[in-house]
Amino acid sequence: MLDKLLFKNQDRLQLLIAVFGSFLGVTFLVTSIHYLIKVQEFGKGAEILGPNTIIVQKKVSNTGTLGLKPTDFSELEISKIKNMTFIKEVQPVRSNNFKVWFGTKDPLVPPFSTDAYVQTIDPQFLDVKPDVWTWKPGDKFVPVIMPRDLFVMLNTFMSASGMTQISDDLVKQINCEFKLSYNNKTEHLNCRVVGFTNQVSSILVPESFMEYGTVNFSDGTPQKITQILISGKENEFGLVEDMLEERGLESRNSQMVVGRLKSIVGTLVLVIMSISIIAVLVSGLVLIQYMQLLMSRNAYEVRTLMRIGYHPKKIIRKFFIYFVRIFGIITAVGFGAFVLLKFVLDGVFASGGVNIDTQLTLTSIFTLLFAYALFALASFITAKKGILNEY
Amino acid sequence: MNITLDRLMPEPLASIKHGESSIWGNHVVLEEGKRILLNASSGKGKTTFTTTTLGLRRDYSGSITYGDKNIQAFTADEWTEVRTRQIAVVFQDLQLFPKLSVAENLRLKNSLTDTFSELELKQLLERLEIENKWEQECGLLSMGQQQRVAIVRAMAQPFEWLIMDEPFSHLDVENAKRSMSIINERTLAQNAGFVLTTLGESHGYSFDQELFL
Repeated sequence: MLDKLLFKNQDRLQLLIAVFGSFLGVTFLVTSIHYLIKVQEFGKGAEILGPNTIIVQKKVSNTGTLGLKPTDFSELEISKIKNMTFIKEVQPVRSNNFKVWFGTKDPLVPPFSTDAYVQTIDPQFLDVKPDVWTWKPGDKFVPVIMPRDLFVMLNTFMSASGMTQISDDLVKQINCEFKLSYNNKTEHLNCRVVGFTNQVSSILVPESFMEYGTVNFSDGTPQKITQILISGKENEFGLVEDMLEERGLESRNSQMVVGRLKSIVGTLVLVIMSISIIAVLVSGLVLIQYMQLLMSRNAYEVRTLMRIGYHPKKIIRKFFIYFVRIFGIITAVGFGAFVLLKFVLDGVFASGGVNIDTQLTLTSIFTLLFAYALFALASFITAKKGILNEY
Repeated sequence: MNITLDRLMPEPLASIKHGESSIWGNHVVLEEGKRILLNASSGKGKTTFTTTTLGLRRDYSGSITYGDKNIQAFTADEWTEVRTRQIAVVFQDLQLFPKLSVAENLRLKNSLTDTFSELELKQLLERLEIENKWEQECGLLSMGQQQRVAIVRAMAQPFEWLIMDEPFSHLDVENAKRSMSIINERTLAQNAGFVLTTLGESHGYSFDQELFL
């Protein structure tokens, strides 16, 4: 009966407009947050370097080839790059200054050996479990990350030898070895592939192995830093690209393309998300304003109810529950629309060759719950103020 | 519960000269269980008396106490208790819900305390000869019929005091008598008192006390 008294005579059109606005806002909010997270996550796990991280070197010009222009990085250059606002971290990539060969040592595959170029980078940039990425003299094997180019070359060699090509998983099972030598000293160390990379052209080894080789097998030539690892801030990757151009630096194109795409899409989604947040706030405000209008239209009813003995709390609860229920329905329907939209968008991405993870993101669900809680709080405050105003 | 008005002076009436017997500005005690007639001509403040005594307006000097508690200090919980179980009222402008039916208006009030069954509510309407209006919207009734609904609604709660602001102004003599009979029964059954404001008509009833404005 109270519902009939307080909510029957409404301007349904105004309510529908407010509800529709809120529905659109909620749907776009949850969709944009979901895809913003997915864009940030895109490529994670597929590569051993973290997101927005690239390895760069100086472009080799004719003067560089003639030795007139240094191709290595000085401490000052590294420090200048590090101080740029859009840069998160800069670390030198250390290369071997000792002779090392890499080869297979397994009865399952034919012997294969090559001069190797090994590098090491700070483990904080590597997406490898820390307990796997350790080595000390005497350990059973040295963990290595193999450049995918070398893996392709190995398979080509296998094919040419009339043997079956091997998969990623199998190559991780076969025994390999490093041969280190200096003058008459030679040492063979077992090694095993623990991952692959498209981003680095050399075999990556743990820092301790590099240290071991330098101490025991180097001719004393100082290590030059010809490559550095740069980690840019989220959605500012375009600035990193400009900086590389400005300073005559280069990186592997694929890394740049992914970084650039993520930066552009991330920025776009961020813009959509900002618009959605504004839309949700505005539509929430419209609903709240509608609530005020409804209370003001029912001022006589509210006042009379209190005069005949209804507690203000009971009437506040009525308005609060009514609007919280409406927003609850909007949120649920908005979420349903998001799931449908996601189904369509994931299909569009997949058909475009972009295979993003299709699982729902918890953050987007929490955002919805947060928006709901915020609206519930605003509804309660408005209902309380409006009713007590008539008391 | 006694209701005490101590030097009560509503602001709109402060500039008017009041007689020595007027309740305005004097010390008046409405003793529990008494039947009181408040007799005054138009514009003297009968409705002001009702709304001020019920705590609906606060623009006055002096004090009003229920028992020994100043009503200015009442909380929302206390007012709700007073309006549900201690003081019933028939407003001069009736304060019914015009879009709701007679039944809904009565149920809204009665559901707070479950004082009457639906059958008892209908019987009261029957005594006032409006039982056939049960399902009709209040806004469509005549003023006299609405007045009778408002009287029945006031009965649908326990009370120590019944305050009525010109409740029979649109009723003929017979219906006023019937209404008064119901009021008399209900107040006697609960040892309650009442205040009836009129323009001079006592409706053939003898009162314990007469107040003037």
